[in-house]
Amino acid sequence: MNVTLRALNRFGLGARQGERQRISDARGWLKAQLEAGAPTLRATESTSPTAIADAVRALRMPGQRDEQERREARRRLVELAASEARAALDVRVTSDRPFVERLVTFWSNHLCVSSGAKILVAPLAGSYERDVIRPHVLGRFEDMVLASAKHPAMLAYLDNFQSIGPSSPGARAGQRNNGAKRGLNENYARELLELHTLGVNGGYAQQDVQELARILTGWTIAGIPGPGARIQPRPNTRGRGVVRQARPQQDGPLGFAFQEFLHEPGEKTVLKQRYKEAGAAEGERAIRALCGHPSTAKFVATKLATHFISDDPSPAAVDRLARAFRSSEGDLKAVALAIVDEPDAWREDARKFRTPQDWFVAVLRAFGSMEVNPNAPVVLRQLRQPLWAPPSPKGFGDTMQEWADPDSLLNRGELARTISRLPSVAAVDPRSLVDVVDVPAGNPLHTLIADASIPARERVALAIAGPAFQWR
Amino acid sequence: MNRRDFVRNMCYGGIATWALPRVSFAQVGQTGRLVFVLLRGGFDGLAAVVPYGDPSYRALRGTFAFSESELTPLDETFGLAPGLSPLRPLWDANELAVLHAMAIPHRTRSHFDGQAILETGLDHPVGSSDGWLNRLLQVMSGRRAGIAIAAGMPLSLTGAFEVESWSPTKLGVVDDAFLERLAVLYRSDAALQGRFEAALQQQNLVGEEPMSGGNARRGGITPLMQAAARILRQEQGPNIAAMEFSGWDTHANQGMAGGALDRLLGQLAEGLVTFRTEMGPAWQTTSVVVMTEFGRTARPNGTRGTDHGTAGAGFILGPRLSRAHVIADWPGLAEGALYEGRDLKPTLDTRAALKTVLAGTFDLTASQLERVFPNSAGAGAIAKLMA
Repeated sequence: MNVTLRALNRFGLGARQGERQRISDARGWLKAQLEAGAPTLRATESTSPTAIADAVRALRMPGQRDEQERREARRRLVELAASEARAALDVRVTSDRPFVERLVTFWSNHLCVSSGAKILVAPLAGSYERDVIRPHVLGRFEDMVLASAKHPAMLAYLDNFQSIGPSSPGARAGQRNNGAKRGLNENYARELLELHTLGVNGGYAQQDVQELARILTGWTIAGIPGPGARIQPRPNTRGRGVVRQARPQQDGPLGFAFQEFLHEPGEKTVLKQRYKEAGAAEGERAIRALCGHPSTAKFVATKLATHFISDDPSPAAVDRLARAFRSSEGDLKAVALAIVDEPDAWREDARKFRTPQDWFVAVLRAFGSMEVNPNAPVVLRQLRQPLWAPPSPKGFGDTMQEWADPDSLLNRGELARTISRLPSVAAVDPRSLVDVVDVPAGNPLHTLIADASIPARERVALAIAGPAFQWR
Repeated sequence: MNRRDFVRNMCYGGIATWALPRVSFAQVGQTGRLVFVLLRGGFDGLAAVVPYGDPSYRALRGTFAFSESELTPLDETFGLAPGLSPLRPLWDANELAVLHAMAIPHRTRSHFDGQAILETGLDHPVGSSDGWLNRLLQVMSGRRAGIAIAAGMPLSLTGAFEVESWSPTKLGVVDDAFLERLAVLYRSDAALQGRFEAALQQQNLVGEEPMSGGNARRGGITPLMQAAARILRQEQGPNIAAMEFSGWDTHANQGMAGGALDRLLGQLAEGLVTFRTEMGPAWQTTSVVVMTEFGRTARPNGTRGTDHGTAGAGFILGPRLSRAHVIADWPGLAEGALYEGRDLKPTLDTRAALKTVLAGTFDLTASQLERVFPNSAGAGAIAKLMA
């Protein structure tokens, strides 16, 4: 096994030509990447907060527009989503800190949102990764989860912005007005426990889900009409004063708004911890407590070990990463360092099968591409791993079992052949592709790549479609 | 040599050292095949299996009400919508059962939650759960092989048990020389070679002969059902399949006879009939279940469509049925009988229907069924449905 290639492919996003020769200390190269601060990515004009807010409002309030305006709004939405996807893929393909970018993809998937399930997420997903994941990927886990809980993408994706405390003033006013049943939506609270923090067997009960959902009522999206919009607060004629509440603005950029009048009043209990009525602060305390729970350390460590070590990591390795998580109080930079120092991640026999996104990004890095083809999002969809659109809140799977199905291998073969016919691939030397992955001596790839009777483009396709390129 | 010849030579003796496929099909050749077809989007059961004999039907459905003469009558209450008329021969052959007023065991009007409940086979949402078809494969470990015939891996099939896949999504044209060289490369990888060979075999089974309903690579229900039959009719191959079709979320302009929904129903019926024909003798051991995540509102909405509702309809097809049935503990469409005043009320749990089909198609014990559908004791099997 080549240690430098392991660093470039396992920890990074795929070796580029010549990179293997330039790196002398693989672990040092990885650790140095953690020292340059958060991997920020700037919004552009087409992905500005205003552009995003416009796109979301066009989806949320379509009735106010005529057909031409709706068509225009759809066009802008597609353009926005495409720019976001391209920017995110560009940085994965060109980054000089590929280990940090892999961490971005890991945490983005751990706390995923999905435009596949809700169209409202489509204009927000790029901002979610840029504003929730990137700033905290080397920071504290609880800050990342809290930012996620407050981002419009997550509030929309798991319905929390529509969750109303059953005894809140808003629920009572709503019943008076139109009789419609309004109430608690447990989706976000459940996934926060099951998928983001403690894990499914992390030691919580359905009662905890409900109580957590109560705590998180009133957490809504600023800038669009929320569930309280159609409720007309009215003066209380029985002399208990006027029902008042601050409504979120319906213009300006989107953000987080706590709406007291939708919040379930009173004390709540989650995991035996009591939370006194404290408005939005209740939820912040509860989320920080969940992030500090021992089950969270174990759950997160298991996922990290599965990503960086093998599909079936040893309990000892999971324990070591969980300890790093606990002792640093969820400092993700400390955890990343522990992963580099984890001996199991460097074992010869531990292979990881590249997911479609991994594979595609690694191909482009190996080619030395400076920019991503506009068709990349379409290609990823066809490979069954569309960007920011996993099939469920669990995120995309991370094991060979989920990705190395027969049809997917054939798809990669077919796509490799298609890619190899692109004009820009004329510049790719097939022999350079044997250098970016670990190909043991005697492997038939060496013979095929050197066989000048096979057209160069076909040899390029064979290199990226063949089994050696499917592993990291 | 075309691809079929190439694959045949390679898989069946052309290369003596070729390793066995990774799934040992030695025990798989037992009888019993199952296809689970998910209609994603919530299809309108009241527009598909029309309760024309219900006294409230006409008033409730208003402009959406079919007249009796347009329908294929099943009994004095229910008739099949015009698009589903191709299913008549299956009904006459006692190979069709209609399930009505059926719903998943958890009340939701979200596609996302509804599909997750139907596909995980649980009674409440659990985001990290396996699919029930995968659990079925687990309890029959080694005796069955599963395959997704879909552009993605449906949640119903995901889980610890390894499954096959075939999709009409093809990403490029590859010639035999390329595949042959690629196969040589895959032979150097013990973990992947069997998988690659399985892909070539499936591709070969689906074949390059013309499809009756168009090109399988371009999708469409009939070509996909035809492709599915070519894979499933093999004696030693995958015999539990998941398929999915979308387009059923008819919020606007769902139409009447010849309209958008009816055309889609027509494609579904045609696809199912084609599947039955294409299966040949293997049809005798096959059961097909068609389900959706929820029904739609009993009344039309303001945009000539219907909104997310609760109970709806589904279908079971196959010779393992005892006879043609309409399975419906019919709650009626009277104002007071509707769920929350707007939807057909559920009286049948999807899991009860699925358990009945499983018990009638495979040899399974009650405890195995309970493992496939945990906490489903309350959803008992439907008596006398299967032979």
